[in-house]
Amino acid sequence: MKRFECLQAIAPLIDKELFVTTAGGATAEWNALRPSDGNIQVKTLGLCSSIGLGLAIALPQRKVFIFDGDGALWMNLGSLATIGLHQPKNLIHICWDNQQYESSGGEPTVATAGKIDFAGVARNAGIQSSTAATTVDELQQAVSHALSHDGPHFVWARIEAGRAEAPPLRYDELENKYRFIRYIEDSEGINILRVPMPASYLQK
Amino acid sequence: MGTVAAAQQILAGLKEAGIDLVSSVPDINMLQLINLLYQDKDIAHVPVGREEEGIGVCTGAHLGGKKTAMLMQNGGLLNSCNGLTTTALQFGVPILLLIYYAGDIGDNAFHMVGLVTEPVLQGLGIKYVVLRDPAKVKQDIGGAVVLANSSKRPVALLLTRAVL
Repeated sequence: MKRFECLQAIAPLIDKELFVTTAGGATAEWNALRPSDGNIQVKTLGLCSSIGLGLAIALPQRKVFIFDGDGALWMNLGSLATIGLHQPKNLIHICWDNQQYESSGGEPTVATAGKIDFAGVARNAGIQSSTAATTVDELQQAVSHALSHDGPHFVWARIEAGRAEAPPLRYDELENKYRFIRYIEDSEGINILRVPMPASYLQK
Repeated sequence: MGTVAAAQQILAGLKEAGIDLVSSVPDINMLQLINLLYQDKDIAHVPVGREEEGIGVCTGAHLGGKKTAMLMQNGGLLNSCNGLTTTALQFGVPILLLIYYAGDIGDNAFHMVGLVTEPVLQGLGIKYVVLRDPAKVKQDIGGAVVLANSSKRPVALLLTRAVL
């Protein structure tokens, strides 16, 4: 299955969920299909799972998706243990495994040799709702199940290599962050970026 | 191991500064503080396995409205450099870095880590204060959090054994 077909299949299931997407092809494809200020792109390879965990802990009332990759997850495999330890019910972690570092030119990852079972690793790290998907239907069912049940959830999406035509993201990381935070402030009715009053206003 | 009284003072300083989520990797000198964090009801405590994960957790928590701190040894600061650079600094994320200063003057462990700690912080462009006076701990925590929020950057406090 192709990643873009999977993304097309899950986009109709999505409403107000938040998306933390890895440095890689999934980010551009997802933003083309579902442009939203509730999407934040990650720049540090491997860190999307940790950033998603922090977001899920801060906003337990919101569902948080992580779009990871096989190379990125290899770099931060310990984050599965940390997610398994903290058990965020609202976290849905999808690893798009194309068995290569696609954004770096297609070099092999740990997944290329076919020995690692990411869903098994996640389950044994304490993420009980952990499954593998090799068809678009299986993937859609796994996401549908994750949206209607408490997590944490992990989905090992075994995809073909290759990227769909998708335009680059319109925003740099700062603009992406500000838009994301303003979206959270507005949708949650909270103040995150507090701007202090000028000193003269604080005098009598 | 530190004293309970010193740990209580640091915890009180964090609360006064509005910190409500702390991620951590332990050091023996911060044992009392970590023990307090495990018991505390006001601050969400998120232990992680490696310090760079904690930079990610603090970043995600900030996006969701938390005021965060990362508690670690200076060896962990070195483990975190890419996350600090390409996530915390590049996205402009305020995080209070509470770092035990191993290899400082008078400390007989990890002298090489102690040697490179301040140059690394300088190289990253992360402002820092070395805490040596217990009487100033609360004030410096408050000041570091103000600067982290106004500059939207991590700010570091290097904790020596004198304040723990």
